[in-house]
Amino acid sequence: MKSIKRGNKLITMMLFIFLVGMGLLIYKIQSEASFYISRSGVRNLGYIYDCNGEILFDDNAESGSYESGHFKDVGNFIGDASGQMTNTLVAKNMEKLSNYSFTSGIQNKGGKAAIYSTLDHSANEKVYTAFGGKNGCAIAYNYKTGEIYVCVSRPSVDPLKGYENLEEGSLLCKAFYKTVPGSMQKISTTIAAVESMGTDELESKSFSCSGSYTNKTGGKINCHNSYGHGTQGIYEGFANSCNPFFAQLVEDNAFRLDDIIETYRNMGYAVNGDKESRFSIDGIMCQKASTDLEDKNDFNTQWGCMGQGTTMVSPCQMMMWQSAIVNETGEMTMPYLIDKVTNVRGRITEKAKTEYSDRLFSVTAAKEVKDIMLSNGENYSGKIPGFTVGVKSGTAQVKNGAEENSLLTGFDTDPDHPIAFCILIENRTSGEVSTDQIATVLLSSIK
Amino acid sequence: MYKNGLSYTGVTFLTLLSHISMLAIVFAKGNYDSILAPVILSAVIIASDLIYFFILKFLKQNTYTIDFLLIGILNMSVIFQSCFGKVSFATKHFIFAILALVCCQAGFKLTQNHRIIESRKYIFYGIIGVLILSILLFTGSRGMWIDLGFITVQPSEFIKPFFVLVCATSLKYQQNKHRVLGIRVVYDNWILIGVTGVIVLLQWWCRDLGSLPTFMAVAGCAFLFRICYPKAKLSKKLIIGLSVLGAAVIVIALKFAPGYVQERLHVDIWSDQNGTGWQQCQALIAIAEGGWFGKGPGNGSLYKVPAANTDIVFEAICEEWGLLVALLAVFMIILLLASSIINTPRSYFHTTLATGASAVFIAQMALNIFGSCNMIPFTGVTIPFISQGGSSMMACGLLAGFLKAGQATVFPVPVRPQQPPQGYPQQNRRVQ
Repeated sequence: MKSIKRGNKLITMMLFIFLVGMGLLIYKIQSEASFYISRSGVRNLGYIYDCNGEILFDDNAESGSYESGHFKDVGNFIGDASGQMTNTLVAKNMEKLSNYSFTSGIQNKGGKAAIYSTLDHSANEKVYTAFGGKNGCAIAYNYKTGEIYVCVSRPSVDPLKGYENLEEGSLLCKAFYKTVPGSMQKISTTIAAVESMGTDELESKSFSCSGSYTNKTGGKINCHNSYGHGTQGIYEGFANSCNPFFAQLVEDNAFRLDDIIETYRNMGYAVNGDKESRFSIDGIMCQKASTDLEDKNDFNTQWGCMGQGTTMVSPCQMMMWQSAIVNETGEMTMPYLIDKVTNVRGRITEKAKTEYSDRLFSVTAAKEVKDIMLSNGENYSGKIPGFTVGVKSGTAQVKNGAEENSLLTGFDTDPDHPIAFCILIENRTSGEVSTDQIATVLLSSIK
Repeated sequence: MYKNGLSYTGVTFLTLLSHISMLAIVFAKGNYDSILAPVILSAVIIASDLIYFFILKFLKQNTYTIDFLLIGILNMSVIFQSCFGKVSFATKHFIFAILALVCCQAGFKLTQNHRIIESRKYIFYGIIGVLILSILLFTGSRGMWIDLGFITVQPSEFIKPFFVLVCATSLKYQQNKHRVLGIRVVYDNWILIGVTGVIVLLQWWCRDLGSLPTFMAVAGCAFLFRICYPKAKLSKKLIIGLSVLGAAVIVIALKFAPGYVQERLHVDIWSDQNGTGWQQCQALIAIAEGGWFGKGPGNGSLYKVPAANTDIVFEAICEEWGLLVALLAVFMIILLLASSIINTPRSYFHTTLATGASAVFIAQMALNIFGSCNMIPFTGVTIPFISQGGSSMMACGLLAGFLKAGQATVFPVPVRPQQPPQGYPQQNRRVQ
């Protein structure tokens, strides 16, 4: 009889395992059904709103429903459901927008599924317009809370007008893709210098610039000021964005290459062939920085520390580092774009909260670099009037030196206006709109 | 003696009611061109129900649980299959459903007396041998089907019930040990190891790896019974040892599995929604579109996807009838298996037989449902009695007959009390 009962136990056990599997299946279906529907041809998607309730995405919109160009400033960032763009807020969050529930199916009318974004459409439009005819991108967020207010990338696309005859790069939001950072990279190098030699020693260092510098391996590092900057400390060298100064700093015996590499890696760089990775902002994938640093006396490594060579950083990541500096914590405030999500019945299913990264660098380094950037920012009081900013500009040679991109990153220290930003203007030439002009528009338009 | 809670009339009424309810939904929400389609379907279903209930009255059995559940499941399945895409009548499936009922009765009669089976076990080894030979000769190394012109047969499906039969064993058989090279062995166990090995190699050869877990589940149960038989209870060490061994076998098998199996283990179906993941993506979308209550019989679109009425039949039902009804169908099959726990088999042989049959049903349901829903690698096995396919229906019918034999065995003959205790069902009433 015991043996017979053993058979029953075996059947019971098999049935139990199967039923557990069925339970998991029901849970899986319940939790993923909206996603499945979002991948079907049949769907009804809700709206995306900006922080003031303005519509940024309307799947049922037709040409004429909105003013011409209404969506153009967010076209390649918010995107649409056509499948033309894959790294946009809509493409990555279709299931959240789906006016569908497993119980009632697809709601063609009266569905209340929606994404309430942190974006300020009005500010976005102003920044988009400020670029004039230039291409590039600008991104800004609240370094206290993480809310992204502005994210513009030119050229862009108006989803209502279709996808024909588009300029190259229209379908990408450049803020999330790596670019040559130019002298903005000196922020990272300065952080590494503080981490390696400490504040006092760094501030005690001074190097001379005569317009160019021949390094220990015979490489010639030119300065943008051919007359030279003379002898400078870190504050002056940073403000002058002096290449010979930073080349000598990198060569300095107290500044160890291992420390540079370690600090860079902590900040998220893929160094010397590390596996490159990306991070996600509400589903939108952002590339992480990368560089090669092999010999600190080497020409390429020194340029790598000054934002040329193989060094690449996305404007978004550069902006995020500003939060770790201005907050004096060494921890980034993680940006977010979705403030809240409502389901088909209007119930809030997601609510954003502020999150922070692990510590990238020490509080000492954050404070020191903040002071250096604020000191540099004093030079911008006329260029970005009305704001007390810490900034670093950059000029990046791209396309083998055929073009120069102009960049600016920084933060506003006003506690009531805690904005960190990064701006890129592609192929800028003298006389055209400048990054500080766009920064002024950006900071003025975010209330 | 048997735990029978409902009368013949009560169960008949319940089974009829379940089918009539489904047919009412077909009339109300179904997609059909002419009212004739649901009328024919209803007439055939109700008539076949009544005829089978009538036939049952003349069958002398101790219990009718399996019979009622089986007709319930089969006609439910005929209604499902008749509605995919548009309401019509699935004649072929209905014929195989009748054949499944016949096979059930055949399986029951075959295995009712375990002494006869055990004394002629060599016949079943022979049948398995013939089936294996037919696969080797007629299906080819990458096929599973033999095309007879008017019908295609899948011999590997028929191996399953006969493999369950040879896996069943009795205490007496296990005590009949012989000394070979100083070791006491049971010949039957070594033959079974050999047969299992041959079947595994055969499945590998003809790339029918979807059925392999089913055979392994049956063999696993059989060897567990054989290994644990002499001990009074299952030792923890043994259970842990067997679990580790099982896990190691699975890991090694997966490591050396063919490329297409490896691919299925790692494939992200949504990243290739229009390629290799198309069938599963469409199936999952169909479940989502169906929701709890379905789009209505005949209103689905999954029927356009290949294997909608076999490999992804669960999702096709979900789409048209809703997840609740699909779960109900699965629950009916679970009840079929659970009846062996309630009406305990009366002999060790029938216990091992019922366990083997249950292992086949559970493994197939798990492989089909979890595989098509992307929880485990997708294989091409059927849900017993629900999926279309004659070979599968008849094989499952035989297995259901084995379950019935466990509950209505010949030995020992149930002894009827002279004076039934108060409240005991009357003996002249057929009971479930």
